Amino acid sequence: MSDGTAIPQHALERLKGLRSEGHPGGIFTSDFSVNEFLLVRKAGFEPVGLCVGSCIYHLGIQYSSWSQNQEMNVLSQAMYHARELAMSRMRSEAESMGADGIVGVELTVKRMEWDDKILEFIAIGTGVVHAKGHPGYKGHNGKPFTSDLSGQDFWTLLQAGYRPLEMVMGSCVYHVAHQGMFKALGNVGNNTELTNFSQALYDAREIAMERMQHEATAVKAEGVVGVDLHEGSHNWQPHIIEFFAVGTAVTPITTERDASTIPDPQLVLSVNN
Amino acid sequence: MSWFDRFKGNTPSPSSQGAPQQDFAGSNAERQAEWESALHHHRLPAFVKQRLSDASSGKLPWISTMTPAELAQTHRYKVRPIAMVSGTCWYHYGYSWTNGHTAGWHQALKRMQQEAVAAGANAIVDVRMRKINLHVGASMDFTVMGTAIRVEGLPPNPEPVVATVTALEFMRLLEADIVPTGIAIGAHYEWLNSYSWANLDAKGGWINQPLTELGNFWERVRRKALLQLRQDTQRDGNGVLAHTHFGELLKVEEQNAARYLGRHIVIGTVVDSKRYGAVPHDIRHVVDMCDGTSPMLEERQHGHNAYDTNQEEGSI
Repeated sequence: MSDGTAIPQHALERLKGLRSEGHPGGIFTSDFSVNEFLLVRKAGFEPVGLCVGSCIYHLGIQYSSWSQNQEMNVLSQAMYHARELAMSRMRSEAESMGADGIVGVELTVKRMEWDDKILEFIAIGTGVVHAKGHPGYKGHNGKPFTSDLSGQDFWTLLQAGYRPLEMVMGSCVYHVAHQGMFKALGNVGNNTELTNFSQALYDAREIAMERMQHEATAVKAEGVVGVDLHEGSHNWQPHIIEFFAVGTAVTPITTERDASTIPDPQLVLSVNN
Repeated sequence: MSWFDRFKGNTPSPSSQGAPQQDFAGSNAERQAEWESALHHHRLPAFVKQRLSDASSGKLPWISTMTPAELAQTHRYKVRPIAMVSGTCWYHYGYSWTNGHTAGWHQALKRMQQEAVAAGANAIVDVRMRKINLHVGASMDFTVMGTAIRVEGLPPNPEPVVATVTALEFMRLLEADIVPTGIAIGAHYEWLNSYSWANLDAKGGWINQPLTELGNFWERVRRKALLQLRQDTQRDGNGVLAHTHFGELLKVEEQNAARYLGRHIVIGTVVDSKRYGAVPHDIRHVVDMCDGTSPMLEERQHGHNAYDTNQEEGSI
C-alpha cells in the first residue's frame, strides 16, 4: 500500500489463491459481462480478480475571494491525491495478484451523509494476466497497467496496435468569480459576452488538460485515448467547479501495425426491431 | 511506493497532502492576465499555443476523445489525433435570450477553431456541445469541445472543419463523399400581443376549436428559426442534419391582457455532399440475438448536454 503498511496476511492468501497457475482450483472474480470476458480472452488475457482501492478523504478548507477567478489549490490537490491513493491501492492489490494490468477501471466519488467535507473515492477494475505470460504488457516501470477501457475496447486497442499504460488524469477545482454589482447593472438589456466567466472556464479546462498531458508524458506514452472532461461539484458552493480530465495513456506495441491489416468494419442493420 | 512519488522523488508519509500536479504556466495572476488579453485580442494565450504546437509536433503525447475502435479506423485512413480542443463563451442575455444562443455558440465555435489552427489540424471531430450547471443571472455558458485531427499528406487547414459526429462516423461519411463541415444554428423568438384577446384563447369551455391565431404565431416562429438554420448552413455546406430542437411557448400575464413569447432553437450538423452520390458500402442484415437491450439497438450517447440536464451525483 502506498503508505507503507502491508496488505493483511489473509487477504494476501486469498489473492494468491486466485492466480490459476499452480492453483488449478483457483477462482477468478470479475465484473466483466460475458462479452467482455470473451473479448479479453480473445485478446490473449485471463482475468485473475477484482481489484479494489478506496480512500475516504477529508477535504481541507480554502476560502476563495468572492470576485476573483482562481484555482482552489487545496481542493484540486485533495481531489487528485484521494483518487491517486485509491488508484495506487487498487494497483498494489493487482500487483500482489500477479496481474499484468487492470482493465475496466471505474472511478467513483461518493458523498458521506454526515459530513460534506468527507468524500469516498473508489477505484475498481478487473486484474488480468497474459495467458502465455508475455512480459511485454506491463505498464510503466514494470507495474501493472491501468485502463478505464472496457473489455471490448481493450481488445480493439490491441488490434489497433497499441497497449494501455496507465489511466492518466488531471484535476482542477476552480472558483468562478462573482460579478460585481456595477458590472451587472451595466449589462441589463445588452446581449453580451461575460468575458471573466469565459476566461474562468477556459483556464480551468486548460489546467486540467495540461496536467493530464504531463502525466502521460511522465509514463512515456505516445498518446491518450478515450479522454473525457467531466465537470462536477461535490457539495461545494455553487461557484466552485471541478474540471476533471481522464483517459488511458497508450503506447504502440513494439513496431506499429501496418494500417492495412486493420480489418474494415462491416455495416450491419439489425432487422429484428 | 505509489507511482506519484516519481514526481516528488520522496516517500510520502500517510499524512502527506500529496504532490500538486504539474502544469505549465506561472501564477494565477499571470494566467489571468494572459487570458484576458488573449480573449480581448481574439487570440490564444502563449502557453496554450505552445502546448498545442508541441502536441502537433509530437513533443507532447496526443490527446483524443476517440475510442480504440475509432483510433484503429482513423489509422487506416492515415488520420492522426493531435489534441483535444475547446471553445467557451459565457453569454449574458439582455434583450434576447434566443439570439444570445446564436451568438454564444458561434463565438465558442470560433474559439475552438482557433485552438485547432494552433494545433495545425485539418478537422475537429467528435465535437460536443456542453454547458455547465452554474446559474448566473440571465446568462449561460456555451462550450464546444472535440478532437483536432490531421490527415497525413494534407497541409493544415486555416479553417478546420467542425464535425459533430464521432471519428468512426466521420470516416464512413468521408468514404461516401460526404463531409460534415460545421454546426449551424437557427434561433428565433417573437412576442404576440393579445389585442384581439378573443382569438387567442378558447371562446368557451364546451366547443372543440383550433386556436388559430396562436397556432399560426407558433408556426411562424418555428419556420423563421428553420429559415435561419438554412441561411446559417450556407456558410459551410449544402445540407444540414438538425439533431436538436428546442421550443418554448410562454404566456406572460399582464394587467388586463396577456402576451405570448414563442422561441425556438434548432441546431444541426452541416454537411457538404454531392447530390445523388453513391454509398460504397454494402449493408448486411443481421438478426441480433441479444436479449434485453442490445448494444446495437441502444440509444447512442452523443455527449451533448447543452439542452438537457447535467449529471451530478456519482460522477467522477
